[in-house]
Amino acid sequence: MAHKIHILLVDDEASLREPLADYLIRQGYKVQQASDASIARSLLNAYDFDIILLDIMMPGEDGLSLCRFVTDKTEIPVIFISAKTEETERIIGLELGADDYITKPFSPRELVARIKVVLRRAEKGGGRQVATSGGGYLFSGWTLRCDKRSLVDSDGVAISLSTGEYQMLLALVSRAGKVLNRDQLLDITQGREAHAFDRAVDNQISRLRRKIEADPKNPEIIKTVWGGGYLLAGEVKSL
Amino acid sequence: MTHLLPRSLVGQLLLLVALMLMLAQGVNSFLLYRGAQNQNLVESSTAAVSRVAFGLDRQASDRPERRNGGMRARRWGRLKFGPDSAVTDTMPRLPELEMRAGQAFANMGIGFSEIRVTFTSDLPTAMTGHLIGANRGEWRNNPINRSMGGRPAPTGTRGFVIISAQQADGRWVSIASVVRQRTPMLVRTLLFQTITIYLLMLIPLILLGRYISRPLKSLTARAHAFQPGETEELPEQGPPDTRELIRAFNAMSSRVSHMVNEKDVMLGAIGHDLRTPLAALRVRVESVEDDIERERMIAGIEDIDHMLDDILSLARLGRSGEQADPVDIRSLIETIVDEFTDLGHEVHYQRGEKQSAMVRETLIRRALRNLIGNAILYGSSAHISVEKSGDRLLIHVNDNGPGIAEAKIESMFEPFLRGEGSRNRATGGSGLGLTLARAIARDHGGDIILKNREKGGLRATLALPLG
Repeated sequence: MAHKIHILLVDDEASLREPLADYLIRQGYKVQQASDASIARSLLNAYDFDIILLDIMMPGEDGLSLCRFVTDKTEIPVIFISAKTEETERIIGLELGADDYITKPFSPRELVARIKVVLRRAEKGGGRQVATSGGGYLFSGWTLRCDKRSLVDSDGVAISLSTGEYQMLLALVSRAGKVLNRDQLLDITQGREAHAFDRAVDNQISRLRRKIEADPKNPEIIKTVWGGGYLLAGEVKSL
Repeated sequence: MTHLLPRSLVGQLLLLVALMLMLAQGVNSFLLYRGAQNQNLVESSTAAVSRVAFGLDRQASDRPERRNGGMRARRWGRLKFGPDSAVTDTMPRLPELEMRAGQAFANMGIGFSEIRVTFTSDLPTAMTGHLIGANRGEWRNNPINRSMGGRPAPTGTRGFVIISAQQADGRWVSIASVVRQRTPMLVRTLLFQTITIYLLMLIPLILLGRYISRPLKSLTARAHAFQPGETEELPEQGPPDTRELIRAFNAMSSRVSHMVNEKDVMLGAIGHDLRTPLAALRVRVESVEDDIERERMIAGIEDIDHMLDDILSLARLGRSGEQADPVDIRSLIETIVDEFTDLGHEVHYQRGEKQSAMVRETLIRRALRNLIGNAILYGSSAHISVEKSGDRLLIHVNDNGPGIAEAKIESMFEPFLRGEGSRNRATGGSGLGLTLARAIARDHGGDIILKNREKGGLRATLALPLG
């Protein structure tokens, strides 16, 4: 019999926590519930969890602080559950080590899909998505800033990127010079956003090229490797 | 015409005072002029009266050889004696001077049965040689003047006063007297006086005007730039009326700030606190067996979620933590267009030049998303173009829908109001789309403009300030 995935669900709102736990159990997961951070800590001591679903806004110790504790001490992946506010958007922008986030109200099916992606990534040993905070990269006259999730040209003008494009560019830039095939790129970037599932990698790449290449038809920055995939050419400096 | 008038308070005040001063000076001068004219008449009639009294006195002293002749008499002008009055019945009479003359004669003990006084600009022929003050050489010796009967007044002469008095024996004694012109340079004097007084008044007037208008100016600037939430009060200055106005404005702006703040906190709380039960509902809906029913419920929950999103954005606007940064508008439009394309919608964008503007990207994305969403909702497809107009960047979103009746265009920006014929919820949208888009645009110093296109359909324009 296969190992049942063990989930720790931390949320102070019983009205959401309980039906969600029921749903996940019906989907074949083992679920422990915690209504605040201290209960969550004691449960963490008692059990081995495969993944943690964590509400950010809780009375007492909040989800961010608990998340920091978890990512420092353990390898357990974390998915934030949060009401969408400017504050959470900013915090998530800082990438405090969570593997993914989902905003209320969410589709439980999508949550399950994301749990699967995060677990698969963890299993492959890929670890967390590039853990950057406040840093960035300089390449071919462009600056990719991770704190603001923005791409700025040499004149200081920001180029608007979709979340998918940003993830794709970050994946390429942080692994500059390495050839990444489509599967690898999907793996790295997927799970961040629902749309990413539907989007072909090639489509994302061509949109990125249109935005950053001087001549998108003869790309100098994001190069296609025959039979392989894509790579980011040129020198990259970490900030 | 009106643009020639000064627009500022001080300017208008100065102009008004100048005009009033000019008018007052005009009236004043007119009165002075009249007074001077009258004075001249009185003077020459007094001379005439004296001459008559003197002449009669001489006659009484009975020195006939000098009665009508002699140097002095000639210089003084001879009295004219005759059966008829030199002042004929057709001549206009001057009752006031007649009265004065009568009194003068009475004072000197001379009695006349009747006294006539007239003013004429041309000396009647009969009075030639019986004129006082005509001894100026050039005039008296001028052959033309001599030969002429009725003679025009010499320069500096306004005319002549003729006095004619009837003696006890029924004979008339008459004499004419020159009336001098002694009111020269009236206009120049008037102008000079007016300008002098005006210049003297100018300094205090300007000071007064600034004292009044400066606080008003800063009040106007403050009212224009008013943002709810401002705590700094405008200092009270200027005259008491203005101080009172500033005090009232301060009180009003603090009330407005308070109300807006309350509203935002309320909306924010509603938006936020509704999310959790909504999320719970969304989870529970998964257990609904009937697929169609479940999908409908999910759609309903998503509608509410979008509406909450819009409400929250509206409430947060103006207090957004996001900084305005220079952002390339072309790539921003591309990002939004791609979103719609991925969802299978028809959105066209003719890629133009790179163009940066200072914007808060997430907000502008949202505004643009709402405009394009509307275009697709009502017109099934959207065409986007960018145009630079002066210091503004115009992003046009054209659709091929039915457009909007001109009279209803402005009301489209009211919250929870939808275009005609789409009032049912099936068309989706929160009813806040345009309200929010306009609020975002205005927060950036721009605006949203709706206009029916000539070829049909609607054009929604997002105007953003450049630079």
